[in-house]
Amino acid sequence: MSIVLVGINHKTAPVEVRELLAFSEEACAAGLRTLVDGEVLREGLIVSTCNRVEVLAATAAEHSREGSKRIGEFLAQARQLPESVFRDHLYTHHDEEAVRHMFRVASSLDSLVVGEPQVLGQVRRAYSLALEAGTAGRILNRLIHHTLRVAKRVRSETGIATNAVSISYMAVELGKKIFGALKGQSVLLIGAGEMAELCARHLINAGVSRVLVANRTEDAACRLAGEFGGEAVAFELIADSLSTADIVICSTAAEEYVVTTEMARAALTRRRNRPAFFIDISVPRNLDPAIGELPNAFVFDIDDLESVVSSNIREREREAERAELIVASEVMQFQQSLRVLDIGPSIGALRDKLQGIAKSELARQRSRLGPLSPEQERAIEAMLVSTVNKISHPLIRRMRQTYDTDLKAWGDTFDVHEPAQETDMPPESNLDY
Amino acid sequence: MRSLLLAVLAAYVVASIHSILAFVNKRKALQRVSHWSLFLGFILHTTALIADWALDGHYPLFNLRETLSFLAWTLAGSYGLVLYRYKAFALGPFTLPLVSLLTFVAILIRNAADNGPEPGGFSATWLFPIHTTLVVFSYAAFFVVFVASVMYLLQERELKLKTFTPAFHRLPSLTTVNEIATLAAAIGLALLTVGIATGMLWSSSRDGFLWHNDPKEVFAALTWLLYLLLIVYRSTAKWRGRTAAWLGVAGFALVLCTFFGARWMGSYHVFG
Repeated sequence: MSIVLVGINHKTAPVEVRELLAFSEEACAAGLRTLVDGEVLREGLIVSTCNRVEVLAATAAEHSREGSKRIGEFLAQARQLPESVFRDHLYTHHDEEAVRHMFRVASSLDSLVVGEPQVLGQVRRAYSLALEAGTAGRILNRLIHHTLRVAKRVRSETGIATNAVSISYMAVELGKKIFGALKGQSVLLIGAGEMAELCARHLINAGVSRVLVANRTEDAACRLAGEFGGEAVAFELIADSLSTADIVICSTAAEEYVVTTEMARAALTRRRNRPAFFIDISVPRNLDPAIGELPNAFVFDIDDLESVVSSNIREREREAERAELIVASEVMQFQQSLRVLDIGPSIGALRDKLQGIAKSELARQRSRLGPLSPEQERAIEAMLVSTVNKISHPLIRRMRQTYDTDLKAWGDTFDVHEPAQETDMPPESNLDY
Repeated sequence: MRSLLLAVLAAYVVASIHSILAFVNKRKALQRVSHWSLFLGFILHTTALIADWALDGHYPLFNLRETLSFLAWTLAGSYGLVLYRYKAFALGPFTLPLVSLLTFVAILIRNAADNGPEPGGFSATWLFPIHTTLVVFSYAAFFVVFVASVMYLLQERELKLKTFTPAFHRLPSLTTVNEIATLAAAIGLALLTVGIATGMLWSSSRDGFLWHNDPKEVFAALTWLLYLLLIVYRSTAKWRGRTAAWLGVAGFALVLCTFFGARWMGSYHVFG
């Protein structure tokens, strides 16, 4: 058996090409049935996201090259495109490289933002589509299960997905650092920029319970407050609301400071010095930077957030190097297990066959041996079995070292055949890593 | 006895190493190893203390060796409580090595010939062991205040400067360390208050003096005042955060003076 992977991703192709090749879930299910012809391509799976299209297939080893060609043709046919449109953007991996690529994709090492978690869910979804279509068999089942395990290992053993890499998520992370759980905290939105809205949404998802919205145009404030299930506050009364808000997000188009140091100091005093977190994402700035010098006030402007984000991205890239080591060792393990999988049944069948011959010979000649005590009978049987094992031992050792098609030749010599492929799918719960 | 204490030390060392590794690598599995070996060590240590008491016939908190061992035990227990209540694993890498060190020194001293004065006259009254136990427990609480305060200061500084070291992401939130420090300071102050009071009672019942102007007593009084100040200001919320955290650090310096310093200044107090 051989594993073939043909794909296209954000590094090899611009979005114009990727969008032409993308598969919807329906197209994916239908495509899988035409992809797997049972002859060259025995098993198949398609991962299609906005950043990548990967077609993974299992073939017989002698069809490995043929298989990758077929996948190219399949893509052209399924998306009704001339192959020339995307041929130069495709990459093809075989066996070990294909396994490595799958592991890296699922562990999010191959993603646009290293460590983003969605891709693992997408791989999982692709697998369940393949299971439904009946195109995931012995090899792909094993590969995907191993892939999900590797992705989990990378997540838990490296810091690849820990720190926030977007400004809006950074607000949540810093909020948690200051307040612990965000449950029960309140946030005040001053102005209603897109970024501020996004921040607020993330904060609400993280548990912030109360939202206040202040805007110069009252309608906009009411609309936004309604959307978040919060309350609108008159823009002139910001100073009063400041003291009730744990987190303040400011993004107005004002040219001057909307919150001055004096306002912040008064609010902090009324808060009995409980900490307050100010986020300023407006340019020019709307919060007086001097607020940051007050005790228990923490002010982050857009540049601060951006520089933390970029240092987090660098940190993730360092962690990615550790992740690559994990992937490398897992690839080796997988190749090893695949070998055992490939060879196991044949060896067992061969051994059974040889021992069967010995036992049937004994049964045939048993009457000539006359009466024997039970001990003698067992001794003769044991002698035959161990003779057979000793004679076949070098042969089996050789078989363990060979792989694939040679194995078939061995089998043919002794008239032993691999048992039929397992077709039963693993239970769904196995997917819950 | 000695082999039991060695087993305790081994468990504490395993717990320390795993908590440090877990802190660096953020691995849950390592944390679990650390918790379980701490738990095991604590149980063994408790057994050792009880056995000590039964064999020696006096409360196992009198000379230096016993005090260090007892202090290690209270620290391990306090860390366990903080873990249970706040899940603040980050305290482990700072507390557990100290616990191991104290146990190690206690084992070393065990063989030393000088075991101090015979405790017969001291443990005759039940007030004395209560006095020493409470005071040692208050020291453990103040150590927790100290560690939490240092964590607060480190993080507050990084938030103000907006540059984050890797440790930043591994420490508990500002609010959490603040809560830990406040609660531990309150508990420590309460223990110390009763501890000092029983000490005075015991002293007056023995020689009629409540106060000896002993260096240890002076330092203890200063410590008590400082933590009282800390609690009062925290509850009125004027000194939240930074200032309170600095007080927590300064307070622990005083605790160290009370614990070690006083002996070198010729205190009539023994350890405890």
